[in-house]
Formats: sequence, C-alpha cells, structure tokens
Amino acid sequence: MPETEDISRLEPYRLEPLIVEPRDIVLRAAKLSKTYTTGRGQLDLFRDLDLEVHAGEMVAIVGESGVGKSSLLHLLAALDRPTSGEVWCGESKLSEFTPSQAAEFRNRDVGYVWQFHYLLPEFTAAENVAMPLLARGDSRRTAIHQAIKWLSEVGLADRAEHRSGELSGGEQQRVSLARALVTEPKLLLADEPTGDLDGKTADIVFDLIQNLHKAHGLASVLVTHNLEFAARCDRMLRLRDGRLAPSI
Amino acid sequence: MRFELFIASRYLRAKRRQAVVGVITAISVIGVAAGVASLIIALAITNGMRRDLQDRLVGSTAHVMLMRVAGDGIRDWQPLLSRLRTTPHVTAAAPGLWEQVLISRGARSSGALIKGIVPADERTVSDLLKGMVAGSANALEPLVDSDPNAPAIPPIVIGKDMADSLGVQVGETVQVISPQGEMTPFGLVPRYQRYTLVGIFKSGFYQYDSAYAFTRLADAQRLFSEPDLISVISFKVDNLYAADKIGRAIETSAGPGFQTTNWMEQNIELFRALRLEQYVSFIVLTLIVFVAALNILIALTMMVMEKTRDIAVLMSFGVRPEQVRRIFLFQGLLISVIGTVLGLIVGYGMSWLGGHYRFIHLDASVYSIEYLPFAPTLIDGLIVTAVSLGVSLIATLYPSGSAASVLPAEALRYE
Repeated sequence: MPETEDISRLEPYRLEPLIVEPRDIVLRAAKLSKTYTTGRGQLDLFRDLDLEVHAGEMVAIVGESGVGKSSLLHLLAALDRPTSGEVWCGESKLSEFTPSQAAEFRNRDVGYVWQFHYLLPEFTAAENVAMPLLARGDSRRTAIHQAIKWLSEVGLADRAEHRSGELSGGEQQRVSLARALVTEPKLLLADEPTGDLDGKTADIVFDLIQNLHKAHGLASVLVTHNLEFAARCDRMLRLRDGRLAPSI
Repeated sequence: MRFELFIASRYLRAKRRQAVVGVITAISVIGVAAGVASLIIALAITNGMRRDLQDRLVGSTAHVMLMRVAGDGIRDWQPLLSRLRTTPHVTAAAPGLWEQVLISRGARSSGALIKGIVPADERTVSDLLKGMVAGSANALEPLVDSDPNAPAIPPIVIGKDMADSLGVQVGETVQVISPQGEMTPFGLVPRYQRYTLVGIFKSGFYQYDSAYAFTRLADAQRLFSEPDLISVISFKVDNLYAADKIGRAIETSAGPGFQTTNWMEQNIELFRALRLEQYVSFIVLTLIVFVAALNILIALTMMVMEKTRDIAVLMSFGVRPEQVRRIFLFQGLLISVIGTVLGLIVGYGMSWLGGHYRFIHLDASVYSIEYLPFAPTLIDGLIVTAVSLGVSLIATLYPSGSAASVLPAEALRYE
C-alpha cells in the first residue's frame, strides 16, 4: 500500500460548521497536578497547571519527550485522574465522574486520536468507525451509515470494508480520525497524531485534522513534536518543568 | 447487549496473535462438549437400567396389596374382591394366601413364601408365571370338584434359584413344611405336605427366584387348614406412580381393619440406591465440565492479556467497564453454549443410536437384559445444560472482571 495519497481525494467537506461563540470555554484545567510513585520516589509530571481551550480553538502542546504531554491529554479526556486540581468540560467536573460517567463523557464529548491508529484488527474500517456509536446503543444500520459518511469525510469511503491490516499507515490514521469524530464531539484530543507517519502523509493527516476542526467548530488540543504543525495552530503551548507556557 | 455480543462473537472467530489462545479455546469447546455428552449418555444409561429394572420389578409384583392389619386373614373375601375391583383406577385384582414355609428335597431345604393363587387372576396382577423356564403353570388351575383324574399330590411352581438350590427338576416332588402346625399332646407339630414340581419360573430378581413358590389357592388353604381364607388381595392400577393414593382409596373402600402396601414402599431401598448411583455419576462426570470450565478460564485470561490494548482503546471512546465485562462474559458463554450444544447433539445422538441399534451387549444371565438400555430424558438435558452454562459462567467471572478493571491510560502508556 502506498504511504502517501493524493490530497485532492480528501475534498470536499460537506458538513456545516457549528456556530459557536468564539470565547466559549469548552475545556478548563485548574491547578492540575499529576504525581507518579516510582521505584525511585515521587515523580511530579506537572504541578498547578492551568489551561483553557475555547470553542473553535486549536491548541498545540509541545515539549520534550517524557514531560507529561500524553499524561495531560489523558487527564483532559478523563482517562486518568489528576493527583490534585480540576478539569472542567462545560459545566461538568471530570474528577466527580464515576467510571461509567467518564465513559459516557468520552463517548459523547471527546474524540481521541492516538499516535498509533489502534484500530481493532478483527473489524473493518466501517465497523471500527461505527464502534463508538454501537457502544452507545445505536443500531448497527444507523452506526454503519454514519461511519461511511465519516469515512467519506476523510476520503476513505471506498475502504469501508477493508480491515486495518489492508490499509496504509496514513489511511489507518484517517480511519482513526473518523472514529474519533463519528460521535460529533465538541472536543478533539490528538496525541501526536502524525508521529508515526512519514512527512508527506503526516502533512495530509494534519491538513485533514485542521480542516475537520474548522468545519465542525471543534475545540482541539494537539500534542506534537512537529513545530511546523504546532505553528499552524491557533496557540502553541510548551510543557516544561511541569508548567504550560506560551511558546514563540 | 448487541454491541457486546457483536464484539465477543467477532473476537471468538478472529485469528489470534497468539495461536495458543485459539488452541485452548478449541480445547475448551471440545471439553464442554465431551462433558455434556458424557453426562447425557451416562444419565441415559442409568435411566435405562432403572426403567428396565422398574418395568420388570413392577411386572413381577402387584402394584398395591391389601391385607388385614391384625394379620388374621381375609374371610368371606369373594364379595370384597368383587367390590374392590370396581374401585377407580384399579385394573385387576387377585386373591392370594401367602405364608412362610420350608421347602425341602432330601437333605436340602430352603425357606420360601408360598402363594396360594388362582392363576387366571394372578396373571392379571403379576408376570412371574409368564416367565416359565421349565414346565408349565397350567397345572395350578383350580380343580373341578369331581375330577377323578386329579393327581393326589398337589402341584407347585418355584423359582429358578430355589430349584437350583434344592437340586429339583420338573416332575420331582418336594416336601413343604408349614410352621403353622397342629397342637397335639406332644406340642406343636408342623404340618407336612408333598408337592409335585410342575414348573420353574425366572424373573431375573433373586429375591423372587430364590424365595417364591406358587400353588393352587385351595391346596394352600388345605395346607394351612384355613378353608375359604386368603391373606392378601393384589391389585394392578392404571397409574403406577399413584399407587400410594389408590392404595388409600382401596383401604377406605375395604373398611376398617385393612391396610395396603405398594410396590414403591416394598422396593424403596432399591430405588434409593439407584437414585444415589445416578447422583454420584452426575457429580463425577460434572468434573469433566469443571475441567472444561478451567480451560475457559485460561483461554479468557490469556485473551484478556492479549487484548489489553484493545480494551483500553474501546474504553477511550466510551465503552463502559461493565460493557467490557460483558464482552468477555459473553465470549466465555459462547464457548460454553457451542460446547454444550455440540455435547447435547452427540449425547442424545449416541443415546438414540444405542437405544435403537442396541450395539452394547450384556450377559443376560448377569443383568437379566441382553443389551445396554438407553433412556435419555428432556429433563436431564435441561439440568446438564444449566450445570454446564452455570459452571462456565463462574469460570468467566475472573477474566471478565480483570478486563473491566483495565485502566486505559496505564494500558496504553508504554505502547
């Protein structure tokens, strides 16, 4: 399979953009701390970290490997709990969620893209994309219909019946992006979404993320090592010494 | 539920990254099937043996027996017999005079229960006289009063084991000694009577073949000096399992001073032992299902380890922990259901073939039956299915619980 595709295949994007107030805060982290206990003692990843992400805003977080960028995204997605501090998504306080409520939050409000595609190899591309809808109880017919619509969004309608092993790296990541957005969340969290791709394919995927972000009025947080991509975001923050600071 | 079943069934069919998980899954299915099939076949055999034994036992004995509580015999019995024959659910009735005697030939002797009977009536309540292996029971028919050709020595029919024990053959004579003798100035003198052996029966039950002897009712009455007295009225009824209830109705109809016993009461220890044997077989064979369930536990545990990353990914897009638990629970149950269905098909199939073609032969002189009987029942299948699914469900609890407790951030941190 080729690793790069013609970007013209990704056009056009048909969904109407959501109308949101530009200064609505979708996600807010206040005095967030995360400490891990290791064999050598306590490891403070970050302390008293604050972050606000507004509707329609695309924020890039950069930083050295191991500073806690991925861990921060886990906290923002309620995949993990902070040692102290709070994360708010709208009016919801994530630390008060039960495991089931956290799961429902991730299903309704968050689209998550990993560095690796993490598609389930036993299922087709359409089934992988439909999975979040099936999990919430939608009928198979509705979920697959919606999945194919989103596969079209990422230019892979013709790959709907292919399993992940039959797709290229770029295609796999695009399927994973469709899976993240199929529930039409308000928040997109992407953890080095282009980190596992070659340069040209990474460009295609980043362009796609950016276009979908704009088309759907998402609030997006991207963790990336690629400063060029980070510079194309609305804001770039650097995570260093446990703090987030604007990066020039 | 549909979502969990969808994932579970796809996981079960998919090729494995670790081939050993697939092998253990296949072994689990085969194990459950083997356990279920073994249980069905074993229960069909014990049922068959019990049913055969019951049929022959019930054929050999009356279903209900009426006697006096005081044991003083039933006088003026003909009107009573006629009346009781009309009792609801009674299909046949026969009079009998039963007494303990000693039967001897030469130096050999054997205790016996001699039954004075009317053969035409007796055959309607018991099959013992239908299983003659030597001679005939025709000579037991009542004599016409003025028959000049009537032999002086009355006829007797005894069981095969008693005949062997006494070393007597048809046509030879035996001595019957009744302890209910006559009081003389020298004390109680037993009464002796010589009988000609006219037939030998075999029922397959040692208790009957070694101890029962039949003679004409009139000859028995003469032996015990009790003309026109019987001790028992035997009944056949239309519902074997209602013998107790019908017996009480007969008691009521007979009036005060009577009591009944039935075939179940008389053989309660035997049937209790058979039931115990069935329980023990069931427990022993359930161990096969336990071993299969252990395989399910191992297969699922390995599968959860293999799928930890996928579980974390599922959770990252909102699959709830209880849904993850159900995915692996369904997977274990699917293995169990497939194994159980296969086991039921094999078990009932083998039982049907065994019952229909009788391909397992037995020594009739030992078991009184020439083939191994199979009698599979629906209730056994339901019980075995419930046990199999129940045990498998227990086996899935640990792996499905550990799948539900996967922490997605932890599971994916080092990927």
